[in-house]
Amino acid sequence: MLDLTKGAKVRANSISASETRQTGNAVVIAGIVAIVLILAIAAVVLFANLPDANAFNARVETLFVENDDLTAQAELKLLEILAQSGTAFSETLDSYRFVIFVLLVFATAMLIAAVAFLVMLVTLNRRMGQIERKGIEVNSLLISRDQKTVYLNNFEFKLTDAAIETLSVLAEARMDDEVMSGAQIEAVISGRNETDCEEAAGATRIKRLRDSLGNQMISELLVKNIAKKGYMLAIEKDVIRMV
Amino acid sequence: MKYVFALMLTLAATSAQAACYADYKAKQDDPLRLQYGVARIDGPCNADDAADELEPRLEQAGWVLLNVVSVFDDAGLDERRESAGEFYLRF
Repeated sequence: MLDLTKGAKVRANSISASETRQTGNAVVIAGIVAIVLILAIAAVVLFANLPDANAFNARVETLFVENDDLTAQAELKLLEILAQSGTAFSETLDSYRFVIFVLLVFATAMLIAAVAFLVMLVTLNRRMGQIERKGIEVNSLLISRDQKTVYLNNFEFKLTDAAIETLSVLAEARMDDEVMSGAQIEAVISGRNETDCEEAAGATRIKRLRDSLGNQMISELLVKNIAKKGYMLAIEKDVIRMV
Repeated sequence: MKYVFALMLTLAATSAQAACYADYKAKQDDPLRLQYGVARIDGPCNADDAADELEPRLEQAGWVLLNVVSVFDDAGLDERRESAGEFYLRF
């Protein structure tokens, strides 16, 4: 059954949903920025902290200078070889450093993706929960007077002239955030003065609108009529429970 | 035989005045090469002056002087000949 308070709820909920999305986006951006920052710091530390090739040479040189008896040809050759192997090792470290950097980049990409997906998952879950709890949510109401039809979401409902009139009046009142009494409704539709109209007349109009629209909605959403075959509930099997 | 002849020649040349020699350490960069050498010093016979004198000489050949180990006269030549190798009295 559709009544007008439902419309207010829908509007409030859609606002809160978009707010969730905004805070979610802020969290994602903050997370990504933090990850990139951490990577940048790690990269700087990585590149700054490794010894350069000359560190080994300088060490060998001091060794050579400090020991006066290191003068034999063979000893000198040995020291040179030591320095060269140190240099070769530092070149290996360079390649290690590059490999580590590439791995860091990959790790960052994965982390960013993970954060984005996580937040997306949370938002989607929240949204799904809302939709599940709410049941029938009216996202659009389109009244076509000349075809005497009203479209709720994508469902098409045929209404009588009087019912269409009542619905239009209610819709206009809703857009102005107004609540109408039965007498007021009757007055607007019949064009008479409000004091001359009875509350009961308006109530009858509302009742007819509810009966007509409610009947069609229930047949569309719950009790389906399959032509020349019969009737069937239009819901999934696994949602039915008997107490 | 050849060595003896060279030694005799050096002895003859330096016997006139007390000759001064220094043994030093030098290096080249990229890749690192080390040198232990013996050189004749013409100036005052002490380590500091020897270093001053040796530095430009070595630099011409592309070597950087690290330090002068000691200064000595003819008597110390022989024991350092083998260690200095190709750099014995070269610069």
